[in-house]
Amino acid sequence: MTQAAPVVDCAACGKAIDGCELCERPDCPTAICYRCLSVALRQASPDLHDHGG
Amino acid sequence: MPREIDREGVRRLAGQGAQLVDVLPAHEYREEHLPGAVSLPLRKLEEQATDVLDRHRAVVVYCWDSA
Amino acid sequence: MGFTEVYDYVAGILDWLAAGGPIEGTSAGQPRAGDVARGDVPTCGLDERLGEVAARAHAAGWDACVVVNQERVVLGLLRAKELDGDPGSRIEAAMRPGPSTFRPHVPVAELAHYLVDHDVENAPITTSDGRLVGLLLRDDALRAAHGHHQAEGDAT
Repeated sequence: MTQAAPVVDCAACGKAIDGCELCERPDCPTAICYRCLSVALRQASPDLHDHGG
Repeated sequence: MPREIDREGVRRLAGQGAQLVDVLPAHEYREEHLPGAVSLPLRKLEEQATDVLDRHRAVVVYCWDSA
Repeated sequence: MGFTEVYDYVAGILDWLAAGGPIEGTSAGQPRAGDVARGDVPTCGLDERLGEVAARAHAAGWDACVVVNQERVVLGLLRAKELDGDPGSRIEAAMRPGPSTFRPHVPVAELAHYLVDHDVENAPITTSDGRLVGLLLRDDALRAAHGHHQAEGDAT
């Protein structure tokens, strides 16, 4: 089974994703990846270098 | 070398008077922190710990998670 | 530095929040997703037929259903569009697999903002091991956020 090719960039980090993680639309103008969404909602920690802890 | 503890350990030690230290940036601390925790961002920890903390009491440090 | 008794709460504040521990700070007291999510959302299994599941959901007044396994781990989601599909199809074929899920401690106002911006009607709220807590409806999230904001305004 082939994976869908990424079609949009995460508006927060620029990573190529195959659709907005929230609305699942490949043409979402503010598409966001799950990692950035999780960090924004404080259910995941930011990158280590951001706070050193 | 700090000893690792879990959530129950934190509750127990806090109940015994341990000092909770939040090492996240100050703006994160302002939004939410464990009850009674003081803010000592990691970059300032070594410089300010002895001024802010009582070295005769247990200290519990925490961050976002283990990342 | 002369400190003899130092401990590291390795799991951190995310673990504390996930367990519903008390919090101090500016975001303490604001409603969280787990407080507002509806725990009575209909659920179904992969092997069921869409027609029966849709009938059950509609009879209960819902236009959504969460697909879970026996441990109540979320496997998929059926929103209104999926429930209107071929009644004879298996749930596994009809559902949206692997929906984005959110933790109970997430501030409901922030999640509401994303649900509105992306025009998403609801979102599953789960524990960190994927077990369903409930379905957060966008309208409920907005009401809760607005109610808290008003209460804060009244208090000042």
